[in-house]
Amino acid sequence: MIPIPAELSAYRDITLTVNGRDHRVRVEPRTLLVDAIRDLVGLTGTHIGCDSTSCGACTVLLDDRPAKSCTVLAVQAEGSRVRTVESLAEPGVLHPLQRAFEDEFAFQCGYCTAGMLMSGLALYERDAPPGPDEIRRALVGNLCRCTGYEPIVAAIAKAIGDRASRPEDAEVRR
Amino acid sequence: MTTVHDRTRLTGRSLPRTRDREVLCGEGTYVGDVRLPGMLHATFYRSPHAHARITRLSLAKALDLPGVVLGLTADDLRDRVHDMKPFPFQSRDPFRGGNPAIKFADRVGLAQGKVRYVGEPVALIVAENRYVAEDALELVEAEYELLAPVLDAETGAGEDAPLLYEDWDDNVTLRFDVSGGDVDTAFADADVVVERTLRHHRFSGTPIEPRGVVARYDEAANALTVWTSSQIAHAVGVLLENSIKADKRVSVRVVTPRVGGGFGQKWGFYPEELVVPVGAMLAGRPVRWIETRREHMLATNHAREQTHHVSMALRRDGTILGLRDRIYADLGDAYPVGGLASIVTTPMFVPGAYRIENYEAHLFGVATNKTPFGAHRGFGKSEAAFCIERMMDEAARVLGLDPVAVRMRNFIPPEDFPYVCATGSRYDSGNYPGAMTRLVELLDYEGWRERQQAARAEGRLIGIGTILAIEPSSSTRMGSYNNGYYSVRVAMDPAGQVVVATGGSDEGQGHSTTIAQLVGDELGIDPEAVRVVEGDTDHTPYGSGSYSSRFSVVGTSAVTLASRKLAEKVRRIAAHLLEANVDDVDLVDGRASVRGTAGDSPETAVAVHDVARVAYHRIHDLPPEEEPGLELIYHYRDPNVDFPADERGRVAMFSSFPYSADGAVVEVDPETGQVKILSYVSVHDCGNHLNPKIVEGQHLGALAHGLGGALFEQFTYAPDGQPLNRQFREYLVPTAADMPPLTLEHIITPNPFTPGGYKGAGETGTVTPVPCLANAVEDAVRPAGGRIDRLPLTPRNVWTQLHREHAND
Ligand code: FES
Ligand code: FES
Repeated sequence: MIPIPAELSAYRDITLTVNGRDHRVRVEPRTLLVDAIRDLVGLTGTHIGCDSTSCGACTVLLDDRPAKSCTVLAVQAEGSRVRTVESLAEPGVLHPLQRAFEDEFAFQCGYCTAGMLMSGLALYERDAPPGPDEIRRALVGNLCRCTGYEPIVAAIAKAIGDRASRPEDAEVRR
Repeated sequence: MTTVHDRTRLTGRSLPRTRDREVLCGEGTYVGDVRLPGMLHATFYRSPHAHARITRLSLAKALDLPGVVLGLTADDLRDRVHDMKPFPFQSRDPFRGGNPAIKFADRVGLAQGKVRYVGEPVALIVAENRYVAEDALELVEAEYELLAPVLDAETGAGEDAPLLYEDWDDNVTLRFDVSGGDVDTAFADADVVVERTLRHHRFSGTPIEPRGVVARYDEAANALTVWTSSQIAHAVGVLLENSIKADKRVSVRVVTPRVGGGFGQKWGFYPEELVVPVGAMLAGRPVRWIETRREHMLATNHAREQTHHVSMALRRDGTILGLRDRIYADLGDAYPVGGLASIVTTPMFVPGAYRIENYEAHLFGVATNKTPFGAHRGFGKSEAAFCIERMMDEAARVLGLDPVAVRMRNFIPPEDFPYVCATGSRYDSGNYPGAMTRLVELLDYEGWRERQQAARAEGRLIGIGTILAIEPSSSTRMGSYNNGYYSVRVAMDPAGQVVVATGGSDEGQGHSTTIAQLVGDELGIDPEAVRVVEGDTDHTPYGSGSYSSRFSVVGTSAVTLASRKLAEKVRRIAAHLLEANVDDVDLVDGRASVRGTAGDSPETAVAVHDVARVAYHRIHDLPPEEEPGLELIYHYRDPNVDFPADERGRVAMFSSFPYSADGAVVEVDPETGQVKILSYVSVHDCGNHLNPKIVEGQHLGALAHGLGGALFEQFTYAPDGQPLNRQFREYLVPTAADMPPLTLEHIITPNPFTPGGYKGAGETGTVTPVPCLANAVEDAVRPAGGRIDRLPLTPRNVWTQLHREHAND
């Protein structure tokens, strides 16, 4: 084994801004963002499906762009705004995307769902609404083994369509 | 027979899955989300070699690493565990007639003396956190004497092959023969005999949630609680209780929290499910192990890999007279997992949807130095469908007939159901010609045949494939843990709220919704009043879990009949309270009311929750002979299976027979061998639909799964036995952009043996795309001399068929 230099193995305290709240957490330089979110911030809605940048179960928004949190170091996320699936619903009220996922039966086991919703959210918040093909292409980094994708694509398209037709929904929470 | 559902009923409607809302909010608890005070983290040191003798193994350095708490090797386990109990078969002679005959290798969960596949668990490391536990893996010292690996089932079965288990006389782990009719005469009478060798490749379900185990031992109670991502909570619990060696038998509670997809990969008793709990007992603290994706690809069961040497006897008009098959299944390491049961299924169903009365098959399950072969959605029937449906096309080609016409000639006719097939199963119902006719219309089969001619003239390679595959469901196996019954407990509390606890489990199928629909209909109550509990052995009746689409068949029947029985009691009490005849009392809209009245006065109706109150809190108002309470346990036994097998291996193991007629039009790129699907149509029959949107989702998801298996998913090995597909980067599964244009349609022939008429919706789609696309691609490449005898249909494999001078087989 290659010995880890002491300065690299030291713990450090960082501030992670997750869903609008600051969390002071102690991490190693090698601590992955997904582990920090799940184990240190305590939000387990973000999942790990491959730990190798392939499945998208760990997708969060990092400064409004989808990022695979298994491939970002926690220390790299300091100073960025992290948003996770837990940010979507208000108490008792689902986000329009979540509603569309429910209406379209766009989840089965639900393990990929957080990542799908966050990739979907990035599309939902785009100024120019994407069409179904664009949605499909935007989801290639998110694997689902249960649904065959079409219900997910339909749900995202529906939420985006509803938003375009109902301007009051267009106001986007950040 | 109900084929159209009543509008006033809950079943047959697409109730949304509102009670799974926590999944949408990131609040569902999967095994990786279980947090316990003082929890430690485990990793497994795994074999880096396919076949080797362990000459030295030391954890000393790993144990010296600060933060490491415990290390275990097989030597440490010998006094703590019995040999792992096999699953699903409980003995070497499960059918009690020597057929199948099985060899099991005894083992304790960690490799002893030898390693037999890359990824085999060799040592357990437990540490304060996962990062340290991973670091410690690099400090494990092991030396090996490399042995020649066995990487092919057929040569591996031979006398000269290196032995995986040196006390065995060969590597054949399972032998099974099955036959019906008079095969020799059929072949002697044939005008034509068509022969072919067909190879099905190795792939698997790869759920997005890998496996994981969390275990806590309570010493005072001598009780273990084990959370595991499994389809079979109760079986794992019992297998653990029987496997842990202790002065007093340890009591085990198994919880399968939300499971992130199963697909058969989580149907087994895995070494980690034994070793992690033992680790928790020894560490005196809870221990968690969560599989990495790399571990999953190496150490979670694979499936499907089989070679068929098949010959078909035909009359010139396309009538099939007989069929012979000799099957070699590549079981990987001879671990007693689902693969043994899976491969026995294949020879049972090679005759598929056809009336083939003269049939024989000989199956050899062979141990090789690969990952163990386990269950996988489609369970042995996918391989059977690939074989028969390739042969149907081959027969048509040899005879110069249309492949659809050859199928039509041989289908089991609708009026012959229930149909007892050559291997003893009783097919419940179906309309194969009807489904095929509809497929031909929807696909525009005739139109494409014309367009294909025109395209060929331009040098374009268009191919059309049509198949009809059955997916026998709801299995029961003598001598195994999968018995054909389903257990349900239904309880209505004094406020009228209902809890349904079953011995099944949910990996995403939406049982909390569909069970509420079934119960709501029987008890006439709001489905919102029904709560479902599954996957916790302390809180559910003992049951066999989820697999084989059994929820649709035995599960729904158990739920319906249990709640019907409870409803009868509610009606009896209501009749007593209303001074009415019980036969005149209906349960509708939360009320028990006297039929023929408006049901709007206290004399003619009583709220169901008031009946419940009487059952618990006003028992003096009960009919004199009635026991207090509203709770019962019900076991529903599958009505359409028979045991034991007869002397020719014939047995009715599966009780319902969903099927689908699928058709595809593909275009093959002559330069690259890339397959593009231009059209894909599936005409599916799974009987009645409990919740149509859920049914559609199951079928669509299954098709995606099958398309991936047909086109790119595969586990391959280097000549030294090193696995080449260790991540999703190397094991390609379909993405959203890979889904072809799909047309889905359902026809309905209800299951006549069960109250609901459901057959099972989630597996047929995994079976059909493989033969369908193989046929379509062969149709495309055949003019160039290509053949599709092996899978998957990757550009490389297809290109090789277009340039057979490069083919090496
Ligand atoms: S867990 Fe991050 S991409 Fe799979
Ligand atoms: S819903 Fe199971 S992986 Fe997508």
